[in-house]
Amino acid sequence: MLAVEAHGLTKTFRSVFSRRSTTALLDVSLAVPRGMVFGLLGPNGAGKTTLLSILATLLLPDRGRASVLGHDVIREAARIRQKVNMASGNASFLWSLRPGEILTFYGRLYGLYGMRLRRRVDDLIGLCELADHLKTPYNELSTGIKQRLNLAKSLLNDPELLFLDEPTLGLDPDISIRLRAQIAALRRERGTTILLTTHYMREAEELCDEIAFIKGGQILARGTADQLKRQIRIGEVISLRLEGGAWEELGALPGILGFVSKDDRVECTVDSAVERLPTILRWLHERNVAVRHVDVREPELEEVFVELAK
Amino acid sequence: MSWRSEAVRIYAFAHRSLLMAGRNVFFVFELVFWPLIGVVSIGLMTRFLDLSPEDSAFVLVGTMALSTVQVCQLDVTYALLFDIWSKSVKHQFLAPIAIRHLALGAWLVGVGRGLVVFALLAAVSHWAFGFNFLAPGWVTLALFLLGCFLTAAAVGFFVCALVVLFGTRAEVSAWSAVNLVLVLCGIYYPVSVLPEPVAGLAAAIPLTYFLDAFRAPYGFPPQFQWPWLWGFALSAGYLALGHWALAAAITRSRRTGLLLKLSE
Repeated sequence: MLAVEAHGLTKTFRSVFSRRSTTALLDVSLAVPRGMVFGLLGPNGAGKTTLLSILATLLLPDRGRASVLGHDVIREAARIRQKVNMASGNASFLWSLRPGEILTFYGRLYGLYGMRLRRRVDDLIGLCELADHLKTPYNELSTGIKQRLNLAKSLLNDPELLFLDEPTLGLDPDISIRLRAQIAALRRERGTTILLTTHYMREAEELCDEIAFIKGGQILARGTADQLKRQIRIGEVISLRLEGGAWEELGALPGILGFVSKDDRVECTVDSAVERLPTILRWLHERNVAVRHVDVREPELEEVFVELAK
Repeated sequence: MSWRSEAVRIYAFAHRSLLMAGRNVFFVFELVFWPLIGVVSIGLMTRFLDLSPEDSAFVLVGTMALSTVQVCQLDVTYALLFDIWSKSVKHQFLAPIAIRHLALGAWLVGVGRGLVVFALLAAVSHWAFGFNFLAPGWVTLALFLLGCFLTAAAVGFFVCALVVLFGTRAEVSAWSAVNLVLVLCGIYYPVSVLPEPVAGLAAAIPLTYFLDAFRAPYGFPPQFQWPWLWGFALSAGYLALGHWALAAAITRSRRTGLLLKLSE
């Protein structure tokens, strides 16, 4: 069963004063199965947050239709809001309230009260390690604690679908790692479907079952990280450390897409390492070039991102 | 939705308003400083002008109504403004709540604060200027206060709608809208002194009728027939219209993306 199903979503923002219009989404279709961590990658202004906001019922599309957990985002928004929640990287709460008060307030908005509310708030304070900061007003909390509070708030209603909009934006690496571990545990332990936007390739690769690249309001590619690397065909990289002989003409061999040589090190970007490596080694052997070290690596997701963002 | 989950959501907003009121010094100014300045300066002016006790009562009723309505209306407006100032408005609209939860929760706190302001001003004006706020009787007083609070709720709805439509550019209306209403409804003077087209506008404001009815026992014959009935009927109409306007503004804001911009 699908957690998210969208067909032809289009959204244009119009400025009343300058009469400028910006197309944030153009005919986007998407299907996300339940229980999956789905990543949306793309440069700034690609339309990631717009798509998430439409699915979270915070924004109305101009055209197209979308359903979340089987409910239409326009006609059945109230039912969707019971079952989803959202945490974003730049989230903010009322400045003079304390973490426990913030969680209690939003807990009540989700219909929690009495012992159930108190237990839920206590559980989330424990889960997100907020116990040491309960007496601190929101505006005096550090960015990392604010972000953990934001995640705690997004779990108040035990959502079936969680939208995470750049959840580790601006966080220190150690806090990001802990937050990512909490996100991974959510899917593992509760089966929560997660729709995640991020700028960080490592985060996408570590957390997401599937990734969609979005740019200019359109989804350009979709698949697992490995599928995307193959799909984009930016090649694999063979790194060699060589000794003796001349190897400057190695770059002219068939199947070599890129060739960089510096001192005794050579990097060849090839269409298929399995096919090209034996040819390269034979060619070097015939010219009495000794191979001291060979390393083959797949392209990084970041390289795929750069390629697609061009 | 069960009555309990309705009550919990309303209570959430009421409790939050109380927490904010207890932690921000400007609430003290709203509750004590400005109302006292108003009633003392107007009271002293009645002495300077050597007004009769009836005329003094007429003016002081207007002053007390101004502060009571303003404090209550601000609370309704704060339910949204707090979130807009702290850029957290999207969390509220992401949750399964309706306008009635937000408005009713904040309004209840506004009623509480309005009663405190009215009691304070009544006590001060009785002690300093001999004004008897109980002359019309408890029932009339209760009806008058209810009328003030319903007017405040209606103004609060319209101000919230403006803020959701135009963002922080419209937040000045939170403090100015109610003053416009009070000028039109004859706060320090009978509406008969207003020029004709403006008097027509005054007749469309519920508080005009509530002031008219409450001032009658102080020796000012009502200018309208069935002022209570008109006042409450108009209040109900404006509340319904205000609710619709806010709902429409939120929908438009979801369409234009302003709801998200207000959270950035």
